[in-house]
Order: sequence, then C-alpha cells, then structure tokens
Amino acid sequence: MAAVAHHRVELRRAIRQLRDRGLYSAAKWAAEQLVGLPEETETEKLALKRPFRRKEVAGQSSSGGVISSRDDEEDDDDDILSLAKSFFDVREYRRAAHALRGVAGQKAVFLRCYATYLYGEKRKEEEIVELAGPLGRSDAVNEELVALEHELSALYTKGVLDAFGSYLYGVILHERERKVEARAALCSSVNAYPWNWSAWLELQALCTDPDILPQLNLNDHWMRDFFVASVHLDLHRNSDGLARYRALHVTFPRSDHILAQTATAHYNLREFDEAESLFEELLRTDPFRIEGLDTYSNILYVKECFAALSFLAHKAVLTDKYRPETCCIIGNYYSLKAQHEKAVLYFKRALKLNRKYLSAWTLMGHEYVELKNTPAAIDAYRRAVDINPRDYRAWYGLGQTYELLVMPYYALYYYRRATQLRPHDARMWCAMGQCYENEQLLMHDAAIRCYRRAVTNNDREGIALHKLAKLHHQLGQADQAAFYYQKNLERMEADQNEGQDIVEALLFLATHFKNQNRLEEAEHYCTRLLDYGGPAKEDAKALLREIRSVQQHAATLPSMDLEQFTPE
Amino acid sequence: MGRDEESWIAERKRKRSIGDDAAAEAGGVLAMREMDMEKLRSVVRDCLGKHLYSSAIFFADKLATMAGNTPQDLYMQAQALYLGKEFRRALHLLRRFHLVSADLRFRYLAAKCLAEVKDWEECLVMLGEGDVDEDGNVEMAEEQGVDLSESKDVEEREIHISSAMCLLRGRAFEALENRARALCWYKAALKADPFCYEAFEHLVDNHMLTNEQESKLLTSLKFDPEDRWLSLLYSCRANKYGQGAKIDMKIAELEQELEEPQSDDESRAICSLKDNTDVMACRADLEYHRGDFQRCYESTKALLEKDPYHLRCMPLHLGAALELGRKNELFLRAHSLVQEYPTKAIAWFAVGCYYYCIRQYDHARRYFCKATAMEYSFAPAWLGFGNAYAAQDESDQAMAAYRTAARLFAGCHLPNLCIGMEYLRTNNLNLAEQFLLQAKSICPDDPLVFNELGVMAYRNKEFKIAADWFDKALNLAPKPLTDSWEPTVVNFAHTLRKLKMYAKAISEYEKALALYPRGASTYAALGFTHHLQGNSSVAIDFYHKALGLKPDDSFTAEMLSLALADECHLQNSSGSSQLF
Repeated sequence: MAAVAHHRVELRRAIRQLRDRGLYSAAKWAAEQLVGLPEETETEKLALKRPFRRKEVAGQSSSGGVISSRDDEEDDDDDILSLAKSFFDVREYRRAAHALRGVAGQKAVFLRCYATYLYGEKRKEEEIVELAGPLGRSDAVNEELVALEHELSALYTKGVLDAFGSYLYGVILHERERKVEARAALCSSVNAYPWNWSAWLELQALCTDPDILPQLNLNDHWMRDFFVASVHLDLHRNSDGLARYRALHVTFPRSDHILAQTATAHYNLREFDEAESLFEELLRTDPFRIEGLDTYSNILYVKECFAALSFLAHKAVLTDKYRPETCCIIGNYYSLKAQHEKAVLYFKRALKLNRKYLSAWTLMGHEYVELKNTPAAIDAYRRAVDINPRDYRAWYGLGQTYELLVMPYYALYYYRRATQLRPHDARMWCAMGQCYENEQLLMHDAAIRCYRRAVTNNDREGIALHKLAKLHHQLGQADQAAFYYQKNLERMEADQNEGQDIVEALLFLATHFKNQNRLEEAEHYCTRLLDYGGPAKEDAKALLREIRSVQQHAATLPSMDLEQFTPE
Repeated sequence: MGRDEESWIAERKRKRSIGDDAAAEAGGVLAMREMDMEKLRSVVRDCLGKHLYSSAIFFADKLATMAGNTPQDLYMQAQALYLGKEFRRALHLLRRFHLVSADLRFRYLAAKCLAEVKDWEECLVMLGEGDVDEDGNVEMAEEQGVDLSESKDVEEREIHISSAMCLLRGRAFEALENRARALCWYKAALKADPFCYEAFEHLVDNHMLTNEQESKLLTSLKFDPEDRWLSLLYSCRANKYGQGAKIDMKIAELEQELEEPQSDDESRAICSLKDNTDVMACRADLEYHRGDFQRCYESTKALLEKDPYHLRCMPLHLGAALELGRKNELFLRAHSLVQEYPTKAIAWFAVGCYYYCIRQYDHARRYFCKATAMEYSFAPAWLGFGNAYAAQDESDQAMAAYRTAARLFAGCHLPNLCIGMEYLRTNNLNLAEQFLLQAKSICPDDPLVFNELGVMAYRNKEFKIAADWFDKALNLAPKPLTDSWEPTVVNFAHTLRKLKMYAKAISEYEKALALYPRGASTYAALGFTHHLQGNSSVAIDFYHKALGLKPDDSFTAEMLSLALADECHLQNSSGSSQLF
C-alpha cells in the first residue's frame, strides 16, 4: 500500500510538472495511470494531509535518487514565464519563444527550445500541405533543428541540461538520424525524470532491435516496467509483454492503458476473441475513447463483423471526426464493404492528420493492392516500414506487391524481413517458398525448406503441404511426394475440404501406388477419385482399367499369391 | 587646417617685417586692418565649417583681394572653391598666382582638383615625378625631407602630406587602369603613414594583394606602440583564411575593456573597441569565411541595426542571407538600398542577390551586370554575375565574368577558383588544374581550393593524391564542421572507397550523414561500400533508405536488384542452416 501511495504522490507531481512544460500527452498519460491506481483509502488521505507532507515527499523521492530538488520548486515561475506559457497554450509558439529569449533558468530554456521546435514542426507541416506530392512526400524539414541542436548540444556536453531538455535533445537527434546519440540523451532524460512517458515512447521508437534493449542503461523504476512491456509488444514478443502487463495490472488495476495494451497483445497473437472482449470492456469504462480503437476495428474486420464495425465507425465519427484513428476505422469499414476507393480516401485523410500513423500506411497499401495500383501500394508500404521497420504486415505487403510485379528477388527479401519479425507465422514461410519456386530463381531446395518450416508452424491454409508434395513430385522424389499428399489429404478430410487439390492428390497417389505395385491402395484412391467429375474421372477410369489388367496379368503369373486377388 | 593657418601667419609676419619699414607711422591703421582681416578669415573658416560654401567663396575672395593675395588667403580661397565643387576655378586660381610650385600643399590641392575633374594625366604631372618600387618604397625627385622633419615637432597627429600624395597617385593610376602602378603607390602611401586608411581600404577591399603580400606589407608598416589597435584592426581585416584562431585572439584583444587590470607595458595597447561596428564586421567576415552563415547573419543583422548604412558589411550580410535562403530579408534590404543609394553598386548587387535567391537567374544576371557597370571594381557583383551564368550552365559567359574579376582583383583567389570549377564542370581538366593551382598560390589556406583540387585528382583517377587534397581541405576547414562541408566529407569518403579503404570510407560517410542526414546519394554510396565489402544485407538497407529519399535513382535501383540477388543466393548457400 505504501508503494501505491508513493506512486500516487509521484504521479500527481509529475502531472503538474509536465503540464507546466507543455508536455500535454505525457501529462495525460500520467493522469490516466494516476486514476488507474486503486482507490485512495481513508488512511492514505489522512497521511497526505499531514503538515510536513511536502518534506516527506522530497525525502522519499531523493532516496529513490530520481528527482533533483530544484525540479520540485514551483515558485521560480516569474511573470515572463507565465506570459510565454500563455502564448504557448494558445499555440503561438514563435511568440512564446521570443518572449523567453535571454531568460535564464532551466524551465525557461526548455520552454523556449520546445516552442521553437514546435514552431518549426508547425511550419514544416504547413509546407508539406503546400508542396506535397501525390502521396504527401516532400522535402520539407524543420528549419529550426540545426540551431536548436547546436544550442542543446552545447548545454548537454556541459552537463547543465535538465531531463526535459535532454528529452528534446533526444527528439531532435532522432530526427537528424543520429540514433546512438539520441538514445544516450533519452536514457539520461528518463533516468533523471522517469515520469515523462513521451520520452519513453521516443526511446521505444529507437529500440528497433531486440539487442538494443539490454544495452540501455536504465535506472530501476516502475515507469521502466511500463516501458519494457511496451517495447516487448513492439518487438513482437507478445507473450513476454503480456506477462509484464499482467504484473503491472496488479499495481494499476484500473488503468485503461494496460487494458488496451493487453488487448493489442492478444490481437498480435491472433487471439481475436480475447482481444475483442477486452476492447469491449475498455469501451464500457471509457466509451469516448479513440486511442487504440483502430486495432479494435482491425479485429472486427478480420472477424468480418459488419454490424459491430459499422457501429464503431459511427460512434467514432460522433466523438471526433478528424482523428486519424477515426478515419482509419472508417477506412476499415469501407474496405470490408469492398469499397476500396473510399477506403483509400479515408486512410489518406488519416495520414493527412498524422503523417507518421503507421497502420494507416500499411492499410492503405493493402487497399492499393486491391485496386491493382502497385506503385502506390509499394510507396505506402515503404513509408510504413520507414516509420517502423518492425511492421511485418508492411514487409509482407511489399513482398506480395513485388511478387505481383514478378520481381522475385525483391519479394524474397521483403518476405525474409517479415519472417525475421514473425518466425512462427506460416503464411510468411509459404510466401517465401513461392518466391523460391519462381522461374527466375528455381531454387527448389530452399522452397522445400520454407514449406517445411511453414508446416511445422501449423499452416492453417494447407498451402505448404500441397506445395511440398508437388515440389517433391516435380523433383521425382515420389515417396516424399506421396507422404505429403497423404498428409494433405488427411488435413483436407479433417476440414471437409473439397477442391482441385484433393483431385490432384488422389490422382497422384493412385498413380504412385500403382507404379509401386501396391494395387490395393491405388484402387482405393481411384475409387475415391470417381466421386469427382471432370477429366479426373476419366483418368481414374483409365487407371482402374490399367490396374485391373495388371491384376489379371498377375493372376496368370505363377509366382503371384492367389489370395491377393480380389475380384470386383 | 589649424596648423596651416598659424604657420602662414608667421610667414606673413616675417615678410612684412622685412619689406614694410616705410609705413611705420601707419602701423596703427595696419593693425586695425589686420584685425579686420583676421575677423574676415574667421568668417570664412566658420562658413566652411557650416558648409556655406558660396558664402565662404565670396568672403575668401574678398579677403584675398583685400589682404593683397597672400598665399595663405589664396590657399583658403582655393580650399573654399574646392569644397564648393568649383574645381576648375580653384585650379585656375592656384595657377594664376603661380602657387602650384610653391608648396606641396598647393600642389596637392591642385592635383586634387584635377582628379575631381577626372583629368588624371594632368593630375599625375601635377603631383610630379616619382618612382616607386614593388614594395612601395618611394624615391621622390622632390625635396620632401623638409616637410617630414617639420611635421614631427607638431603635437597633433596628422596624415602625412606625402602619404596623401602617394594615395592620389595611386587613385590616378587606378583610374588610368594601371593597376600595378596603383598598387605600388597605395603601398607607398600606407608606408609613408600607416594612418592613411584610405590606401589600406583600396588595397584590401579591391583585393589587390595576395595573402602573402598582405602580411608582408602589414609587418613592414611602422606603428607606434600606442597605435597597436590600428595594427590589430588592419591585420584582422586583411586576410580571413587559415588563421582563424589568431584572428580570434586579435579580435578579443580589440574588444578588451579598459577596466581589466594590465601590466604596465601592455596597458597602452588596450583598445576597448568592443561593439565598434568595424570590429563587429571583422568578426562577421571571419564567420562568413568559416561557413558559419547562421552566426554571420546574426552578427551582421545586429550590426545593421546599430548602423543601417554600414555599407562595408552589407555584402557579407547579403551573402549570408543568400546562403540561408532568407529571401524576405533580401527583398526588403534590396528595396531600401535601391531607394537610399540608387547610384551605388551595392544596391543593385542586393537586387541581384534577391533574384539569385529565388532562382530567377536571368534577372539576377541583369542586376549584377548593372552593379558592375556602376562600380567597376565591386568584386562581389562580378562573382555574382559569373555565378548567375554558371547556374544556367552558360559556361562561356560565366568564364568571361570570372576572368574579368580575376584581372581586376589579383589578390582574390575566388575568380580563379571559379574558373577552375567551371573548367572542371566542362571536363577540361588541364586548364582546371592550372587555375586551381593559381588560386592555391594566391590563397594557400582556403579549404575550398583543396576540395576542388581533390575533385580534379579524383576525375584524373589519381585517388591517392585526391585523398591527400581532401584530407588537407578537411583539416583546414573550421571546426566543428558545418553542413556546408558535407560534400567534401563525401568526396573524401568516395576517394577512400576507390582506394579500397572501406572501413575508413564508411566512417567518413557516416560523418557526412551526421552533418546532413537527408543525402540520398550518401546513403547509396554507403550501401555501395558495404556491398563492395560483400555485406549485402546492410547494403540493401542503405539502398532502401536512399531510394526512400530519391525514388528515381537508377544506379541505386540497379544496385539494389543486384544486392537482393546476391543476398538471396548467399542466404541459400551459407546462411541457410541458421535461417531455416
């Protein structure tokens, strides 16, 4: 209970400090977690009312070694700072920065730099709208970055930059593609001030490789647990992430963030029912939430729940029409109704609202594939993997598109990236196998290995078995071919599947066993083949006749065991 | 002026005492007259001081007549005529009373008048024969020793008359387009008196001296210890390349405050020129040459807020604004300059800069041309003129402009450098080398020259030499490197790659990307280097990045296909066990 009380105090202070610096998303997140804690008990409330509360808090936090005492002082605000903050709040960033020029103090310096940065971002966005090409590609850059980097790097190397300043420095370095330095700056920021969720998120965006996480030098703090769980989810270690969220759920039983993340993890694990029920729960407690609901709409899309998706889309529009998530939900809805042009329109709108909105890029790529607009699809997928190289859907989409364009080397590379991210997903392995089979490569061994891999990973669609059988057949490895045809037959029988594959399998098996002189089995398959129409039936009849003649011929041979002979 | 008057009065008194004993009884009347004359003289002086030139001429004329055309009063009258812009009249006056040969001062004034009416030949004749050697050591036919000794006893510091005459000779030769002779005379003027700033200005602003010559001249000047500030200021203004740290120190010394405690012998040298516009301009100039355009822009902006008509720093400000693409600032500045100084080259140069900035090179060219027509010896306009042609791939015209600039500004390496660059562009490597080496000999410290030399060696496939040049360029470039040096870093990396020093090349490419993270070709080259090392998976990543920034690059696309095929076979043969 003491820990909870401690968290509560920390979060309350953090919300105030973050808000003072204009870091609104981080403040929002902190507030969400604050409410996510269990209800405040009477004793706790009493404890807080004790007169020397403040001192105690300071003592506690310094024992944690995380807050420097001057961060705690809120009385260094002067009039200029509050003026600048007011400008900042009404989004007059340049004015805010100008008001703060020459004002010393870490808070003032941070607010000035942050306002300058945001001004540059705003200007960049405007320029993109003005100059953008058809897919929003443009060379607009934040003009302020260079100067800000200069200033902040001088402060950073001198060691006088506070946690918020280092956060901004990290963001700028990230945009300048200096990832190693950016990681270092962000680590120092979160170590000095762990309650800034935006800093953690930025750091997460820089952890593109599973090897990076253990290398980060992070102090132990409960905020780190949130970060680690989130990174695990991002790196597709969903079960790990899930376990961590369960642990956090104990401390923060009412946190919607944890609930949403858990649901996303289930979705990533393709456990759609669990994910759906969790999202429904989330919407019950927070009906006007929009964050993360695009994932919910993906689930509904996959499950083809027309009505629920339509309801969700309408509700989202009423809540906030111009949120990228809303547009994405509507896009999914239209896509499900096979109105792909409209879907593209809405994904585009989502991207206009947020150019770094990953899933919209990927989904738009899918829509373009449906519309047979491969260049646009490729561009959209590329943008997705530029933003987040761990998006296996986009890699897979790229592979598919290049396969359509008959560029197997490209497709292969992209499929490989996808399999690296999801080594246990049979679909990727099948796709890779198909590439190896392409007439430009004709690498059957590799293809066989891929299909085997798919089979071991529980290939639901059964493509792999059929392909394996066919490949072995082509390579003249009849025994293996027969093995896989049989397996595939079993699978299809279990699924009560009917189709050309069965015919093919039966025909092969019949011929194969006939050739091997296992006539009884051959006959068995032939008779089954007679159930299907078309040319296969004729083939089966011919085969049967052949078997008969062999059998008769065998009967005349003296060496033949008579008991084997079974008349029709 | 004050000393002139006194000495003349003394002379007059002397003359009178010799020739005027007959009028002894009229002494009282004379004294009265003398007082009236004195009064009239003060009226003339006052008129001159208040710039009432017509009145001054009127009274000086009357005074001269009344006082019997004494040289002193005639000098005053001539002076008034000169200031009232009646040059021919002044000249005629001096000639009528045969005063021209009497004294150096008269002769100087006469020469000055001739200069004003642009009769340069006559002017030179008037100034008299004189010979000057390369270093500006004068061998005058005239008797100047007298004057020299005379000026020494005087308390107040003045510009030496012989220095002024040397300067005028220099200007005359410059006007006659005999720049070599002009140069020698300017040097002579500066040597005769280091305070003759005009001579220095001519020498430096018109880029008449190479770096080496400049420093030689500056060390040969004799400054009094208390004039150390001037020597510092001169050396700061002189040359900007290769001695950044030294200049920094000098500027710091110039800006030293008086309050700072100093030891005895140094206390005289304290300058406390902090916030002086010229020192600020020096600093901005240094920043510009270091390629730190942002800071240069800020300092020149601050300077122009203090002194909006500080024309000497204007080209710097315009150049920095151009580099930073501040077209709005350029527009406003050009407009106000054209309004305020329609006859100055700088105004039309600013207009040209604006058009250059918005990439309307036709217009830019026109206005640069206008600027050069206004002031033939305005170096920035000539270079801008050439650059505007070069921007439109009109090599011949560009070259013509550069060549003119090279002829006019022998001490400036930029025209030669530009010519070299143009030849490089048109693939004329031999000529390029010739000009680049010439540029190097004029200014051995500009990293840009070494970059171009490196490019040339690279084109000649002499990669080792190229690597040396680039290395040198990067060593000379001011630290920390700014993004304007990114191409040099990339060039260096390319060369290293050609030399098969892949690891080093990769680290250089990465350095370049830290300076400019959006270089598609850098990513492509980085990928290519990894590819050459057989590291195709990394190469693919970088090719992708390059294509993301520039999707229509055929080289990268082709290399990507190759790398993908390599990767595919590689994975299949060696890495298969680990993958599957």
